Amino acid sequence: MNLKWKRWFPMLIVFAIFLSPLLGINPKTYITITISGLAMGMLLFLVSSGFSLIFGFLSVLNLAHGALFAWGAYIGFTSFNLINQWTGWGGSNSIFLNFIIFLLALIISGLLVALLGIITERSVIRPVYGSHLFQIFITVGAMIVMEELIRIIWGPNDEVMPVPIKFMGSWDVFDVVVSKYPLIAIVIGFILYLVIFMILRKTKIGTIVRAGVENPEMVQVMGHNIYRYFTGVFAAGSALAAIGGGMWATFVKSIHPAMGGEVIVFALIVAIIGGLGSITGSVVGALLVGLSYNYVAYLIPKAALGITMLLLVIILSIRPTGLFPEGT
Amino acid sequence: MNPVQLFHLEERKNRFRSPSFFFRILLLAFFVFTPFMFRSFEVLDVILKIIIFSVLVASYDVILGYTGIVSLGHVLYFGIGSYFVGIFMGKLGLTSYGHLALAFLIAILISGVLSVLIGLFSLRIRAIFFAMVTLAFMEFTFILSSQLRSITGGDDGISFKLPGILAIDFSYGKFLGIEFTGRLISYYLILLLSLILFLLMLRFVHSPVGRVLQSIRDNEQRSTALGYRTYLFQVIASSFASCVAAVMGGCFVIWVRYVSPDSSLSVSIMLDVLLMVIVGGMGTLYGSIFGAAFLMVTRAFLPKLQVIIASLLPGIPLAIRLSERWLFYFGLLFIVIVYFFPKGIVGTAQEIFARRKSN
Repeated sequence: MNLKWKRWFPMLIVFAIFLSPLLGINPKTYITITISGLAMGMLLFLVSSGFSLIFGFLSVLNLAHGALFAWGAYIGFTSFNLINQWTGWGGSNSIFLNFIIFLLALIISGLLVALLGIITERSVIRPVYGSHLFQIFITVGAMIVMEELIRIIWGPNDEVMPVPIKFMGSWDVFDVVVSKYPLIAIVIGFILYLVIFMILRKTKIGTIVRAGVENPEMVQVMGHNIYRYFTGVFAAGSALAAIGGGMWATFVKSIHPAMGGEVIVFALIVAIIGGLGSITGSVVGALLVGLSYNYVAYLIPKAALGITMLLLVIILSIRPTGLFPEGT
Repeated sequence: MNPVQLFHLEERKNRFRSPSFFFRILLLAFFVFTPFMFRSFEVLDVILKIIIFSVLVASYDVILGYTGIVSLGHVLYFGIGSYFVGIFMGKLGLTSYGHLALAFLIAILISGVLSVLIGLFSLRIRAIFFAMVTLAFMEFTFILSSQLRSITGGDDGISFKLPGILAIDFSYGKFLGIEFTGRLISYYLILLLSLILFLLMLRFVHSPVGRVLQSIRDNEQRSTALGYRTYLFQVIASSFASCVAAVMGGCFVIWVRYVSPDSSLSVSIMLDVLLMVIVGGMGTLYGSIFGAAFLMVTRAFLPKLQVIIASLLPGIPLAIRLSERWLFYFGLLFIVIVYFFPKGIVGTAQEIFARRKSN
């Protein structure tokens, strides 16, 4: 097997999985399911990319990531409601205004949760760099505290997540049902992927971050304060979790304080499959999980979670370090 | 004779003389005479849960404190034990001693095999993967147990009756002013099983295998260099601990006579176990007893505390909300303990005694 072929091997796996359910599903349903699978994959990507970046760069297993995700959803919920009360854009018929209020809510939740992430990193995680054991305990503690803070501030009950009017419903394209919001989620997720990828590949910050994944001491020797970059990456990871939280909440239309715990397991699996610390790996892993989950959920509903675990086991046994190497 | 053997000989000689030996006897006596001292069922319930959880936490400590690998899915095996007893007694209705023993055996076997499999494909890469994969498996089993309604009873769980002398309406007659009901007999049965398992774990961590495990914890590269296949030893430790956890899961449902995903397979139990390990002290099996006692007793008194706070501060919703969320304080406690007492109660006490001795 030559090198070039080897490089595209993971992509081929994706396409094989992509097309195989056609045997059991009729093509129109297949497209509908594929779109919702891609949307789920993109939402998972947003959660797991932050997790994966933080692990790859800081070598911190951030179990509080799910709580940051839930915080993102709740802040998105509150800011959406506040802006909507003030301007009424969420209920307006113009899709442009709908977009603006949605993006504003996402940006606000991203920024605030990034701040929360900075506080968490500075106050709790900073003292335990280098010890995986204590990091796990500390981040579990931080997770409990953050989740309980949500219960204290917003109350312990489920809330209904508001959705902009024009985001609801679906289009009918040649008898194929295409839901609107999943399509929007795919586009936003893909744009975010491109942005992160470009930042990591083309900017100086990205180069330093990637170098830090390889060899932190050397980066320090070159005169960069690596702790500042640690904080920055943690903040970026938190912001990604928050944006993922807001978009996920809009997808499932409800929020509750423990929502992070359910998603963090998916994020873990995606991050392991894709390779920890790899942004492209996160995308591929997330799409693999999202698509396979949706196909199997349609064919055999009860085995949907099983396929995710099976995927994890298969990938861990053939490629123990995940599909993509760190820093890509 | 080499220094290690000399050390063992010295240890063996002072075995029955040290103050900690009497302390252990006292502790055991306390557990044995609990039903005679406290007549209320609530107290007995708390103390039995302390016993069960201290063995569960000790088995977790074998992985965490003695081997140095982090498992976040240890409760999975506890749940397997619970569910097998529950399914055999409740769903299949096979209430006989033989089937109870069979349920335990199958649970132990499955836990052992499963933990070996999980260990084999996740410990091979990096120890940190083990934490993630075990967490994923536990979450998966949790969802599975609430979805497979026909086998596990879904979220409602299974309640069941136990055979013969363990049944709730069985009575043996009075003894020392106490009526020996099925409850009390199950109490002593569980105490006996816990004692055996605890001694077994003590034996395990002080055996040659246990010493290798501690050397892996302290310096993995060095033990590899000494010729030990470290990851095989880690797999052995994790499968041993998970078998113990499976037995404790069975004991737990024998006591509560009910099994559901929330009561024996949820992440919140895992968090409890983590907190107990931290409070008691990692790498000390006896610490688990203190950790479990601390958490269980606090939890038993918390509702009363809430009533007091609610009566002291009437009409302030935020104060009541803050007092309701006791998990919040546990989370803070988690962080504080990891910072200031990373060795826990027993570890810190041992350190103080050692310092005093050397002075």
